[in-house]
Amino acid sequence: MYKNLLTIFLLCLFVVSIESLDAQNGISFEKYHNNNEVQQILKNLQQNHPAQIQLHAIATSPGGEAITVIEIGKNSELDPAVFVGANFEGNYPLATEGALGLVKMLLDSSKYTSGLKWYILPLPNPDASKGYFSGLKYDRTVNDFPINNDVDESLNEDGFEDLNGDGLITQMRVKDLTGTYIASKIDPRIMVPADVKKNERGEYKLYTEGIDNDGDGEYNEDGEGGINVGIAFPHLFPKNKKEAGLWPGQTPEVYGIMKFIYDRPNIAMVYTLGSSNFCLLPPKGGRKGEANPESIKIPNRFATMLGADPSRSYTMNEVIELLKLVLPANVEATPSLVSGYLGLGAAVNPMEDDLKFYTRLSEDYKNYLKNKSFSIETLDPSADKDGSFELWAYYQLGVPSFSMNLFSVPKVKEEKKTEKGAELPEKVEKKNPDELSVKDKSLLAYSEKEFGGKGFVPWQKYSHPTLGEVEIGGFVPYLESTPKPEKIDSLLKIQLPWLLQLSKKLPDISFADEKVTDMGGGVFKLELYVGNKGYLPYPTSIGERNKQPAPVVVVLDGDIDLLEGLKRTPLGSIGGNQVKKLTWLVKMDKKPTISVKLESTVFGSEVKQIKIGG
Amino acid sequence: MRRYILLFQLILIFTTVFSADKGKIEVPLRFDRYYNYEEVVEALKVLNKAFPELTKLDVVGKSEEGREIYALTINNPKTGEPLSKPGVYVDGNIHGNEIQAGEVCLYYANMLLTKYGENDKITKVVDKNAHYIIPVVNVDGRYHFFTDANTPSSNRSIRVPRDDDGDGLVDEDGYDDLDGDGNICQMRIKDPFGAYKVDPEDKRIMVRIKPGEQGEYTLLGFEGIDNDGDGKLNEDGEGYLDANRNWGYNWMPSYVQSGAGNFPLSGIGLKAINDYITARPNIIIGFAFHNNGGMWLRVPSEKSIYVDPSDIAAYDVIGKEALKITPGYVYQASYDLYVTYGDFDSHLFYINGAFSFTGELFQRESETYREDVKKSQQPGNEADLPRELLKFNDKVAQGELYKEWKKFIHPTYGEIEIGGWVKMSSRLPHPFMLPELVHRNASVVLLAADNTPEITMEVFDVKKIGKELHQVRVRLQNKKGLPTMSANSVKTKLYPQDMLKVSGGKVVAGGKINDARINKVTYKEKKPEIQFLAIPSYGVAEYQFLIEGKGEIIFNYSSLKAKCATASVKL
Repeated sequence: MYKNLLTIFLLCLFVVSIESLDAQNGISFEKYHNNNEVQQILKNLQQNHPAQIQLHAIATSPGGEAITVIEIGKNSELDPAVFVGANFEGNYPLATEGALGLVKMLLDSSKYTSGLKWYILPLPNPDASKGYFSGLKYDRTVNDFPINNDVDESLNEDGFEDLNGDGLITQMRVKDLTGTYIASKIDPRIMVPADVKKNERGEYKLYTEGIDNDGDGEYNEDGEGGINVGIAFPHLFPKNKKEAGLWPGQTPEVYGIMKFIYDRPNIAMVYTLGSSNFCLLPPKGGRKGEANPESIKIPNRFATMLGADPSRSYTMNEVIELLKLVLPANVEATPSLVSGYLGLGAAVNPMEDDLKFYTRLSEDYKNYLKNKSFSIETLDPSADKDGSFELWAYYQLGVPSFSMNLFSVPKVKEEKKTEKGAELPEKVEKKNPDELSVKDKSLLAYSEKEFGGKGFVPWQKYSHPTLGEVEIGGFVPYLESTPKPEKIDSLLKIQLPWLLQLSKKLPDISFADEKVTDMGGGVFKLELYVGNKGYLPYPTSIGERNKQPAPVVVVLDGDIDLLEGLKRTPLGSIGGNQVKKLTWLVKMDKKPTISVKLESTVFGSEVKQIKIGG
Repeated sequence: MRRYILLFQLILIFTTVFSADKGKIEVPLRFDRYYNYEEVVEALKVLNKAFPELTKLDVVGKSEEGREIYALTINNPKTGEPLSKPGVYVDGNIHGNEIQAGEVCLYYANMLLTKYGENDKITKVVDKNAHYIIPVVNVDGRYHFFTDANTPSSNRSIRVPRDDDGDGLVDEDGYDDLDGDGNICQMRIKDPFGAYKVDPEDKRIMVRIKPGEQGEYTLLGFEGIDNDGDGKLNEDGEGYLDANRNWGYNWMPSYVQSGAGNFPLSGIGLKAINDYITARPNIIIGFAFHNNGGMWLRVPSEKSIYVDPSDIAAYDVIGKEALKITPGYVYQASYDLYVTYGDFDSHLFYINGAFSFTGELFQRESETYREDVKKSQQPGNEADLPRELLKFNDKVAQGELYKEWKKFIHPTYGEIEIGGWVKMSSRLPHPFMLPELVHRNASVVLLAADNTPEITMEVFDVKKIGKELHQVRVRLQNKKGLPTMSANSVKTKLYPQDMLKVSGGKVVAGGKINDARINKVTYKEKKPEIQFLAIPSYGVAEYQFLIEGKGEIIFNYSSLKAKCATASVKL
């Protein structure tokens, strides 16, 4: 009891402290913000904190909307940075609020901005986000990039129409002899596919709400836009989807974001606020068709050239050794050259070592939420999508990539009829075959509880110009993703601090110790210990494979004669809480000190003087 | 002293042959010479000035180092706007060192313009097509290839700095022109335990010793020093972004495809060219010239990518004919050479819907010194080819392609020798061979232009089948080898198909005739007055309409990549 009271008291304090900053920071979370408002908030913030904040206009959307990154910590040039992107698909307004919430938290306390820079992109897909704020709501995910979806003679000529005038695009069901849907026996609002094996006969056809404007027999197949920014990045680019565009970066938002990030090699971690949740569920694996670089088959035509056996498997190092024998002296055999020639392709599943930290951190996150009494008995977050920003960040930037979905509809608990001592296990699992899906049940319950049933538009008759008598109804757009505005504040306050805490897990690389051994005759052995005091490795295992994160290099300087070892020695990968030893053999005649520098474009530099030979 | 005289002579040779004043650039352009970047620009300006009616010179964009990338459009305004005609795209020198590709482009432009009105075939393609010519894609690369010391293969990439050796520094250990002759040649050092000895017939050639034999030399690689002191020579040179691995279609990151760049079209000059091409959707055929090996390469660049058999057949119309125009070339899918991701040709075919060829210019085997040119190399003797190439250098190229081995004191290795093939050798024809190379290859582009679709339309059957109802049949014919739209573009719904629109009467039904004799027609369910179609290579497409009403009925055929056509009939 006391504990609860204390929590409430503390919460109040927290709320008060945040509220008091509203005026100064110009953000409040009573409503969802459209792009104009977001841009205005960012401008105000910049004016109020000119020393700390810089705004970067990184692209203009095809619809002419500004896309802005807010940089917090512009005064710290040499620090590692976290990039945060939110609402790439444009239909998660809560994610944009999350990004603004994070900005606010970072301005409220310097705890997470000392020694760390933040780049935050609250709205990368402003065109699509208009869908939530327009008078006609549908789950819009595409921007205004001109795409002729039905490849006919005109562009964007057949979008949705709000026939019943409720401001929402829902569904139309029409009685049709060739229909394949029936109303569920449990809840006739929900349409389910007829199962002919159960002697059910289809009665309805389903359409989205609208008319066939172009008279081609299809409904609403060519509305406004466009490309979905959230699936248009280069990793597993879904090239067969029209909404991804033709190539990754075709639309200026995606191109601008990639350019912005690659121009800043100090970005050491990436967060995505949207529909997936890597904080809870690590990036999914199990995709087929991935080449294993430790077990490579060499096709016949190359096998002959390399003197290899096409029937056995080789490791990458073995192939490199074979290749060295046939390559001209000036061409270096590298893994990239091998993968190119043999067409090994890209990694498509998360690396095992990376899954270790993802899994461990997700356990920690669950505990964190439990301590805050935040239920995760909700519908599962979406799986990571091909072409998404969060996958690109992990696989191609090679940095830890964490995503968060901030809200899911509470899950209706399955009624498990556990008959104790039942002999047949199948019997236990058997349930009513007509049972609604968990998702439908949960959404209906949520609509009932939160919206007094208004999350579902009841089917109402409508006289349609071409389909005749139809009924219009169904789940309201954004029901699943977008809670009532009054929920925003608490959702952010509970979940976002985890992302702040995660930023403390970044690698932290520094000199740990040194040892100089006099070998006699002016020859010394120098041993340097470099440690990673952070939790996360540098780079990640995928970063080690894709060689994208910039190396940490140990540089020796001074009047020395190196007998063994290099002046510039790449540290290589270093795990969290790990120390690595580097060794040199040096001959010194004069100066007894040398300077040693730990050099990194991500973490900055550290210099130390080492006395040799007293 | 003798050594210095030789050096002096060599410098004299190279400066006179390759970079001294080669005369004024004027129309017609000369092709017994190479043009450096500024001269290419000058040549384009001269052509533009001489043919103001037929040409337009655009700056497409700028390179990483700020040089301008030029495109020359050849179009006869009297026969229509460029976008109304099938577009022919030609570029070259996407790899900085592959310079003769630029000369092929210049030659093509020069040929079309100077022979317009004189030669019927050329006049026809100038009137029929819009020609878009970008002679130098990698403008920085061409500039540096001429200006800096290079090997025949260096300076390929776009100048985006890259840390090739993973030491945190970029481009810090490239080649070094130790002897200052403008070439990066080979270094060798006398070494009784080395793996090489000189060829007894030609002491310039290094051959591997046989097991048990006494060695004479160790090869030290290309001319240079270990600038960054990491024990490796020349391992982190300029760049590296391979301009032919940075395109959007099927792009893969650097650890999969070396040279890919950070993200698709991160090269700003390439992005500008992509925008240029995108704004010209009429482009139906494209050539990208490279060196070397003598090859015509088509899509796909990776085996798993599907190409429709009818598209391969269309490619074959040009590819198989091209083999005869350029003897000794091979014609194949580019993955047969090796797999590439993010290459330009695939982008052009799968994103822009244009048939695309890579032309790998020049076969070194054409540098012959023998009586019977058909005689093939004797197998089993590795020195045969270099011996002949050196004889070609000595007797035919007057020694301009090879630098004799010469002593040099290397800062690390001490006394070594430097020598070998110079930068203007190996992958480039000697200027005396250039005219034939540019002509034959430009003739293949001409062949392709000639094969762009030519559509005629006729109403070939009208029948009254009811009161006020007529059955009208229309035939569209493509007299050329390229279809109006690739099967891939149709299949992937890349852009709207060609359209046949009927106006002037009420179309009750309309559709494609599958068999005119037995009246088998597939009627389109909705909007029969607009039919979507593509006309195959040397093919016909026949349509039938049931039209209610009287008066003039007009049929309009329109296509993104073929010229529009019209027909009409009075009912």
